[in-house]
Amino acid sequence: MKNRLRVLRAERNWSQADLALRLEVSRQSVNAVETGKFDPSLPLAFKLARLFETTIESIFSDEVE
Amino acid sequence: MFCSQSANPATRRYLRRFMVTMIFYAIFIVVSVSTFVHFRPTGIGAWVLAILPALGIIAQMGTFALYLREEKDEFIRNLQIQSMLWAIGATLSVTTIWGFLQGFLHVRPMDPIWVYPMYCILFGVCHGLVCMRYK
Repeated sequence: MKNRLRVLRAERNWSQADLALRLEVSRQSVNAVETGKFDPSLPLAFKLARLFETTIESIFSDEVE
Repeated sequence: MFCSQSANPATRRYLRRFMVTMIFYAIFIVVSVSTFVHFRPTGIGAWVLAILPALGIIAQMGTFALYLREEKDEFIRNLQIQSMLWAIGATLSVTTIWGFLQGFLHVRPMDPIWVYPMYCILFGVCHGLVCMRYK
């Protein structure tokens, strides 16, 4: 799945570790989701959407990378 | 065991419980072996003593199940489950192959007591390989 996490992070000047801290997950998890190697569950996707104050669809698209 | 991440609370709890089960395993082994050597028990007592060390191993498996329930990081949990499935598959493959070799070529029988240590080693190998996929 494609996602805009890197862009959204960069806009806020957050590192992967910063995002991981806010999501209460490991940095490896953020990296795996960001690089499209791991698709997050719906609860985690909602958490991301709430954190970036946007919708899940604007973060993730079902195009394959 | 957990890639290179720093231990989260669930991991720390797992490692603590793991150590406790290992201590009990070691105590049970010493108690069972020394009792069998010195007193040669029979009957139900012998059965209980013979099974005692296995309880430490079973408890260890229980602590891992508990860890999987408590691990809140879904990616880390996914890594652990993938590693476990690969390790179970590898252990079953090795023991099945060994069984056929025993049947056809009369190779030395494998003592089932080694199956769990083999699984643990294979889990470590599989976990390393699974982690590499996500580097």
